[in-house]
This record gives sequence, C-alpha cells and structure tokens, in this order.
Amino acid sequence: MLANLSDTFLAGATAKSLGASQLFLASWWDELWWGGKTGQSNFAAGTDAVFFYIFWVSVAFFALLMFLMVLWAFQYRRKAGTHAPVSNSHNTKLEIAWTVIPTILLGVMFVWGFKEYARQLVAPIDSEEIQVTASQWAWEWVYPNGATTLETEVIADATAPVFALPVGRPVKFIMSSTDVIHSMFFSAFRIKRDVFPNRYTVMWVEPQELTHRVLADANGKYIKLEPIDPANPGHYLTCTEYCGDQHSQMWARIVLLSPTDYEMWKAAQASTDDIDLKTLGEMLYATKGCNACHSVDGSAKTGPTWKGSWGTQRTFDDGTSAEMDINYVRQSILEPAAHIVDGFPNQMVSYQGRLTDREIRAISVFLKTLSSSKDDQQKAQEESDAEIAAKKAAAAAGGGE
Amino acid sequence: MTTIPDNTPAKLDPHEAYVHGHHWRTADDEASAAKLGMWLFLATEVLMFSGFFCAYAAFRMMYEGNWVAASDHYLDWRIGGFNTIVLLLSSFTVVMAIRCAQQNRQGLLMFNLWITQLCAATFLILKVWLEYLPKLRLGEKPGALFHYVPHGDYIAGAHDHIFLSVYWIATATHGFHVLVGMFVFAWIMLRARKRHFGPNHYTALENVGLYWHLVDVIWIFLFPLLYLA
Amino acid sequence: MSGHHDVSYLAPKDGFWQTVWSWAFTVDHKKIGVMYLVAVLSAFLLGGLAAMAVRLELWSPTMTDPKTGLVTGQLLTKDLFFGFLGDNVTPNNIYNRAFSLHGTVMVFLFIIPSIPAALGNIFLPIMLGAKDVAFPKLNLFSWYIYLFGGTFAVSALLMGGVETGWTFYTPYSTTTSWGGVTAMVLGAFILGFSSILTGMNFIATVHKLRVPGMGWFDMPLFVWAIYATAIIQVLATPVLAITLMMLAFERMFHIGIFDPALGGDPVLFQHFFWFYSHPAVYIMILPGFGIASEVISVHCHKKIFGYRAIAFSSIAIAAISFLVWGHHLFTSETPAANAVFSALTFLVAVPTAIKVFNWIATMYKSSISLNTPMLYAMSFLFCFTIGGLTGPPLATLATDIMLHDTYFVVAHFHYVMMGGTVLMFIGGLHHWWPKMFGKMYNEAGAMLGCVLVFIGFNLTFMTQFFLGTQGMPRRYATYIDEFTFLHQLSTVGSLILGIGLFVHLFVFIASLMGDSKAPRNPWGGLTFEWEADSPPVEHNFPHEPVIVHGPYDYHTTTPPHCDPNEYPVPSKDELGDAH
Repeated sequence: MLANLSDTFLAGATAKSLGASQLFLASWWDELWWGGKTGQSNFAAGTDAVFFYIFWVSVAFFALLMFLMVLWAFQYRRKAGTHAPVSNSHNTKLEIAWTVIPTILLGVMFVWGFKEYARQLVAPIDSEEIQVTASQWAWEWVYPNGATTLETEVIADATAPVFALPVGRPVKFIMSSTDVIHSMFFSAFRIKRDVFPNRYTVMWVEPQELTHRVLADANGKYIKLEPIDPANPGHYLTCTEYCGDQHSQMWARIVLLSPTDYEMWKAAQASTDDIDLKTLGEMLYATKGCNACHSVDGSAKTGPTWKGSWGTQRTFDDGTSAEMDINYVRQSILEPAAHIVDGFPNQMVSYQGRLTDREIRAISVFLKTLSSSKDDQQKAQEESDAEIAAKKAAAAAGGGE
Repeated sequence: MTTIPDNTPAKLDPHEAYVHGHHWRTADDEASAAKLGMWLFLATEVLMFSGFFCAYAAFRMMYEGNWVAASDHYLDWRIGGFNTIVLLLSSFTVVMAIRCAQQNRQGLLMFNLWITQLCAATFLILKVWLEYLPKLRLGEKPGALFHYVPHGDYIAGAHDHIFLSVYWIATATHGFHVLVGMFVFAWIMLRARKRHFGPNHYTALENVGLYWHLVDVIWIFLFPLLYLA
Repeated sequence: MSGHHDVSYLAPKDGFWQTVWSWAFTVDHKKIGVMYLVAVLSAFLLGGLAAMAVRLELWSPTMTDPKTGLVTGQLLTKDLFFGFLGDNVTPNNIYNRAFSLHGTVMVFLFIIPSIPAALGNIFLPIMLGAKDVAFPKLNLFSWYIYLFGGTFAVSALLMGGVETGWTFYTPYSTTTSWGGVTAMVLGAFILGFSSILTGMNFIATVHKLRVPGMGWFDMPLFVWAIYATAIIQVLATPVLAITLMMLAFERMFHIGIFDPALGGDPVLFQHFFWFYSHPAVYIMILPGFGIASEVISVHCHKKIFGYRAIAFSSIAIAAISFLVWGHHLFTSETPAANAVFSALTFLVAVPTAIKVFNWIATMYKSSISLNTPMLYAMSFLFCFTIGGLTGPPLATLATDIMLHDTYFVVAHFHYVMMGGTVLMFIGGLHHWWPKMFGKMYNEAGAMLGCVLVFIGFNLTFMTQFFLGTQGMPRRYATYIDEFTFLHQLSTVGSLILGIGLFVHLFVFIASLMGDSKAPRNPWGGLTFEWEADSPPVEHNFPHEPVIVHGPYDYHTTTPPHCDPNEYPVPSKDELGDAH
C-alpha cells in the first residue's frame, strides 16, 4: 500500500493538468479506503455508496461537535472568582431536534443498507455454481466441471490457491466446512458469509472488471494466466472467522477473466491426466490444503512433516507402529483417525471422495521424492515417468483407432 | 460496668433482641433491601435457566418428531409427576414455616422445616434412584456418551443424545439447586433452633423461602417440557 | 466497628499484621474498592503487555523474514509469556495465544470490573450519603470471588493459555483447540458471579440507602450510570454463566449441544454468547458515561445540560442493549433475523447520541477549568464520538457484510472501549484521586500523560479503520505487503500510548509517595463526596449529610469547603428565569 500510495503521490506531484490532479485525488481516496479496489463486483458500488452516506453524515456531526467543543473550551475558560454565564440547563425544542434528526438519518441508513443487502440474498437462476469446502486451513473450490485449481501462488507466508471467476456472469458459492466455522470474504467484492460444518450456506456475486487474461499456445492450448495490469495481481480471498493455528494463512488469489478465458482456464484445471505423478503430487500438496499442517522442510506443524518420512517406521499414540508405505499413506488420507502419530493431535479430516486413486498415488510419489534415501527419490522419478509415458502411449493408441 | 437491675426480663430470644446493621437507618430498610437482593438473585436464576429453555426450544424445533418420541421413551411421567407433587408440598410447608415465625410458634416452625427437608430429600432420592442410575446403566447418557442398550421395541432416534443432553444438564442443574436448598435449610434450621426467627425478624427465612419457590417453579416448567413433550 | 468517626479509612492499624488483617477482612466499601483498583490495574498491565506483543508481532507482514529466513516478531511474545512452551508451537500459535490473552484479560478481568467495582464501590455509597453498600459482607465476598476467578483465569492463560480468542466460538473451542480452554472458561464463569453480586449490591444500595430526602432525580449521574450498569450485570451475566457451563461440559463430556458433529448447533452458542456479551459492552461503557457526566459538570462549574435525558438514556441503553445481540451474527444468521437486529441496533445509537450532545451543550456558557480530568473528558468526547459514529456502518447490513470481522471492527470497539471507557476511567482516577488518597498529583506530568495517551491511542487505532476497509481480517498473524505501512504506524502509536500510560503510573506513584495534601474539595464539586474528608473517614461522614441542593446546582450553591470568593454564584437578578 505504501508503494502504491507513494506512486500516486508522485503521479499527483508531476501531474500538470487539472484533470490529472482530479484523477490523483480520486485514486488517492480509493487507495486509502479500499486499497484501490472499487467497482469490482455488482455489489461494490452500492455498498460503497451506503458507506459514504454514513461517512459524510458522521463527518458532519463530528466536525460540528468537535468545533463547538474546542471553541467553547477556549471561549469559556475559567477565570478565577467569576461564575459561569447564566444559561438554561435544558431546552425542550433543541432536545427534541437532536433526537429526531439523528433518528431520521439513522433510519435512512437502515433502509438503504437493508436494500443493498437484500440484493445479495437470492442468486440468479443461471448462476455458475461453485462448491466450496473450507477446512483447517485451506479453501477448496470445485467448479461445475469437477475441476479444482491446480495453480498456487505465495501470499504472505502461505501457499495460496489461485481461483478464477468470470466477469459479467453471476457466480453462486455453495459452501460448507469440514471442521470448524470459517468465513469466506472477498474484500474487493464487499461480501462475506460464514461457512459451517454440517450445513450449507450460500453467497453469490457478479464480478465486474477483468484482472487477467489467459495465454494460450498456437493450438489454443492453455499455458498460463497473465495480469492485464502488471501492478494489479488480482484480488484476495481471506477467512474472516477465527479458525485456529493458521487462520491467517487461509489466503487465496482471485483472478477475474472474460467468460471465454474462464471456460478455457476451467477446462485446463479439470484435466490432470497429462500431468505426471510427481508434479501432480506437488500440486495437490499445495492445493488440497496438505501444506497447512504438513511441512516439506522438516519443520513441525500441526501434523508430522513429510520430509524424509517415506519408508520410516511411524510410532502411534497407542504404542503400535507401522512402516510408511503406499497403503499407510492411503489409509492416512481416507481414514486419518485410524492411526495418530505419537505427539500430534487427532485433527485431520477424511479426504474420502475428494481425491481420486491416481491423485492418492501422486501424493505417495511426491512423498517418495521427499525421502531421505536417494534410492527412493530415484524410484519416484521412474514411477512418475513410466506412468505418464504409458498414459501418453495409451492416448496415442486410442487416438490412432 | 453498670449493675443490671433486678426487674429486667429473662434473657431475650435472638429474634426479639435483633439489632439491624450499623449502616442501615431502620430495620425495615434492611429487611426490604435483603428481599430486593433476593429478588434480584432470583432474576439471575431465571435467566440462567432460560439458557436451558432456549436450547430446548431450538432443538425441539430442529428435531420435533425425534424429540417427542425420545421424551416418551426415556422419561416416565409418573416419576416426574410425583416429584412435582413433592416439591409443591414442600413449597407449602415453607410458607407455613414463615407463618409460624410470624406467629412465634417455634415448635411448628421446626416441624414445617423438617417436612420441607424431607420433601427435598425425597425428590432427590427418587431422581437419582429411579432416573439417573437406571439411565447410566442403560447408556442413556448425554451427547457423545450416549450408548443406548436397546430395551423394549424402541428404536433409538438420530438425535436422542441431544434430547438427553438437555434433560441431563437441565435436571442436574435443577437438582443441584435442590441440594443447595437442603444445605441452606439446614442452616436455617440451626438458626431456628436457636430461636433466631420470630415476629420481629424472619428475613433470612423468608428469603430462603423465596429461593425455594423459585426452584419449585423452575421444576414446574421443566416437568411438562421434558416429561410430557 | 465503632469509634472511628475521625480516622481516615486508609490509616494503618497498630501493627503490620493488624493492618493486613484490616484490609483482608474489611467490609468497608472504600477499602474493597481500593483493592479492586489495584487488581484491575494489574490486569490492565498484563493485558497491555499482551497488546504490545500483538502489535510488535504485526510490525512485519510475515512470520519469517524473506531475506534471512528468521522468525520475526515472535520474540517478545514468546519470551514474555510462552517461553516455557519451547519449540512445540508454531509462531502463529504464539500470536493466537497473545491476542487471546489480551482479549480475555482486558474484557473479563479489567474493563468489566474497572469502573463499577473500583470507582463505583468507593463513590457510589458516598454520593448517596450512605455509610456503606447495602450488603458489605457480600461486597467482600464478591471481591474474593473476583480474586479467585481472576487467579484461576490468569493461571490458565499463562500456563499454556487459550488460543480461541475471548469469544470461545464452538466448535473450534470444543473440539480442536488446545489446553486451557476449560480452565479459562471456568475462570470467566467464576468472575461472572463476582460481577452479578456486585451488581445486586449496587441496585439494593441505590434503592434503599439514599440519604433521606434524596429522590431519584437528585442522584448524581454517576450513580444513574452505575445503576443502569448493575441492571445489565444482574440480568445478562447469568446467561454467560450457563453458556460457559455448557461449553465446559461440552469439552469435558461432549454433550453435543454446540457441536455440529453430534447434531448440535454452533450458531446457538453465538446467540447465547452474545446475549451476554453484547449487553456486556454496555456494562463496560455506561460507567464511563457516568464519569464523563461528573467530570464535565464539575470542571465546567455548570449545571449539566439535560439531566433527565442523560439519566433516562442510561436506562434506555441498558434496556435496548438486550435486544441487539444479533448484529454479531450478520454473516451467520438468516436475512429476516438480520433485518430485525439491524433495525434494533440503530435504536441504541439514539440515546447514545443524546448523551454526547448533552455533554457538549454543558460546555456552552460554562466556566471551564482545563485540567487533566477535563482534558480526559474532552479526549473521551473526541474518541468516543468516533467510536460511536463508526457503529452505524456496522449496524447497516450492506456495509457490515463488508466490514464484519475486519480491522474496522477492531478499531471501532477499541475507540469505544479504550477511547470511551478507559480514557474516562483514567480521567475519573485523576478526578477522584485527591479524594481517594488525600494527595494531589503533579498536574504537568498528568497532562503530559494525557497528551501522549491521546496521540498514541488515535495513531494506533485510526489506522486500523483503513486497514479494515482495505480488507485486513481480524486475528491474522500475517498479512500482505500492502498493509505494512498502516500496521507499522499503528505499532508506533501503541508504543506512544504505552509510554503515556507509564507516565500516569509514575505520576500516581509519585503522588502517593509525596506529601502534597489534597484539600477536601479541590475542584469545587457539589456532590456528597466533596463534603467528606480527603480521604474519607471510616464510615464516610462523621454525621449523616443533609441534602440541601441538587448535585449540579452550581448556579445557586457555593461548593462546600471552598472559598465563596473563588466560586461566586450569580445573583437572583442575574439568574432571571433561567433554569
């Protein structure tokens, strides 16, 4: 923000024309209040209008009151040996006025605020529906085509997923949590809603301005996202209901695409088939929330680290132990409470139904690459290469028929 | 020391010799403040129990059918009904005890207090012996502790454990109030034996009586809600 | 108990242990008040240190420095409070414990008992012309309950601590959270009883111990405020008690009432919790209003404007406070409930606004002594007005949906709680310091403290409004680079604020050690406490005071024990038909 502010200051200082300085004022103002993000959703302008109505009413009252307070504090300073000038200690007309006028102004706030809120209640019938699963401490969005994002980015300390939304199309989020209460907040859109375990809550929005476009190769195949304005990396999604240890790492990046770009991006996220196991495992680690509790650098988090764990003997809190192999990994993902590694809380939720067999295998290959044994790492690479080669061959054969 | 003249009456009973606290202007002020304090305390009790009633209302709305079936199966209205009568009787004897203090009938005062204690004890014994212990044995416990051992042709509903949670915490908190009442009455009886209560002074007795009526009234709400749902 | 009609209540007894005994088993409301004062100020110090830890952690946006890879910002928090936890906890966890420590200590141990239990205990009976509160033994009992509950809570907080925040939301607090939640919850449960008993005592005192001839509208406004507060304490706190009890059962036996995994309802917990905790906000602020009314009237040497409006608005606020808890659930409840609670929330703004108008109108055509208490009252008017005016954006549905659980909320409630209650608590301490301890304080030092607190406070929290509208969520240990500048400004402000508070502490200690004896009525006040000795004698007044004038009749009455030439009153002709 500091950088942006000083940029706008510089822009303002060098601007010569009146138009430019007006522009500077407007951008400075938006920067201060909204981090420069206005008009990003169909609700933003309405909410901001109510906000500034309240703001200016408040400023008027505050300025008047403080002016009088400071004025009178000096004007009526005590002079020893004198009494206060005679005045009344109440005034019915004045008192009625200062009761009724604020009541009316407050009434307007209520009605206007409710009207804007009411617009947020019912999603249009043709909304794009996205299923949201919040968990400690990750967001998972499932798009209508079954895709979950494969892209991540580092925000603050967290590896955050990148979620795309279409501009000009209503999007409806159907949200639930796997553990505690979370709350999904898009500051640029001015909306949030709590996310509960064992029930669904709904929120909708229609994004307004493009932030990114899709880069595609000559065959129209998706390559990557590219910001339209390099200074605008997109919007943020945060959790606004305190949910424990890494509450502050529940960031996600929101990018707004044109509907066609959005469709292309969504389709690209759906096909993990041509990604080799090792890479896929690493992607899943970041996008399925594994990274919230399991480190890959050996440091302790809520769960045991993945570094150097493959093939080792794991000791459980009931005194038993087992070797970490593909079966162990599978059981830990699907029935996490079956065995709890000694010294760690029983906190993980089941990923039953949220990962395919190939994805579980990808995670185990990724674990193998983190092994301390060079041999395991080598095997992981080979397994990954062989699998993707076989897949490609099968696809080629299928295509040839 | 001055000499005590011969014509002083025999030693006064404590209730006759009662002197109000030094910071009070009159004994009336003191007594009415004590009563006001007790009413305020009762207000806090009502609000505390209202927590259970709200929880009851919320879950009953959520799980209506299950709720009624659970009430029908797990609770026997006859035990609850009998206990209701027992508590009503005890409230009556408390009122009689206050009346006796006002009329300075010390013997009858003690008698009424004994009946009250007896009723309170009956209530608790029935509650524990006929309800709590069998329930613990049959696994009809609250929440995650619920472990129903089937008996009869009843099929446990999906939310029986929530009904039982509300039942257990509400009745246990109420039972705790009855128990506290017994201790307070024991203290009142000790004082009554020393003739602390009489026409001039019976504030503590009256206040404990108020508390006891409240405990009674709360039961009068709990009984139909839980047993006759 | 008799024969002390001419001895200060602070006078030590013959021997050391006799003195200790005379405090530990006192039923004198003033001694109990002083003991509360020491306790709440200690809690303030503990909560303040935790706040500094939070602010210092937020100096840098991330936990690990991108260049050096070192964990930054954690050092103070960890060394100060949680060093013994070793490396078993993540840096985030340390941060979460620090803000939970700050919140729980400030709410349950400091701000709720601060004004009522300390200053209220000392001055409520004196202002009514009474010898003591209605139930002196109960008063001592509540103090010991407070001490017990406080010790319980603080040890739970320090021995591992809680990391749920002060709101203990389920199912986080019942299932996945660590350690001391049960102990902390029981501590708060015990503290609740202390609060209830104090409230009952004050209500009975106001009803039954007013000096003969003192009608309800002859009571000082501080008494009205404490009375309104006591009503809320008595009616709201039991609901907290039952909520916390069920929460403790939930943790111990998994009874399932609040646990969605067992078919329970976490939103029900939020309703229960806020049914207490919203009125509790007014338990915190109403006594501050009371002090503001006293300080402004006394130091303006003028009858308070709209006495009845101020008195009734306290009662109105107390009543409405029970109907607005749902605005804490705007992002979790149904639209219908939200609409109702939004409308009801606006209702509470009206009596609050009326109070502010009355205070400022009191300054018109008055005779203002610009000393420390008055400066605090003006700081209070400045900060509380901001706090009050940032309430409507949170009561308005559309804007609350944006601002809910962001730093805007943090800034708003600090402007109300710290800018309202705490500023007026400190102002009240200065106002009544000469009366309580019989010593004057250094005016220049106190003013310096006041200015530092004012600047520091506003720098700390003004920035947070903008962090909130820019989208910074509450209770975040890390944040994006865009927020760094405002966070660092805020941290600098908190350091200035801390220095200002320490200046006050030194001024007060110097005053106690010094020998600048306070006159009976240093400010020319008219309420009963200014007729008593400084410090008052054991039963407050050698003879029961007689009510001959209203509490604020500065236009007709020369203040007691003051030079009539210094405090002249207007003649009948000058008065005309005013008042």
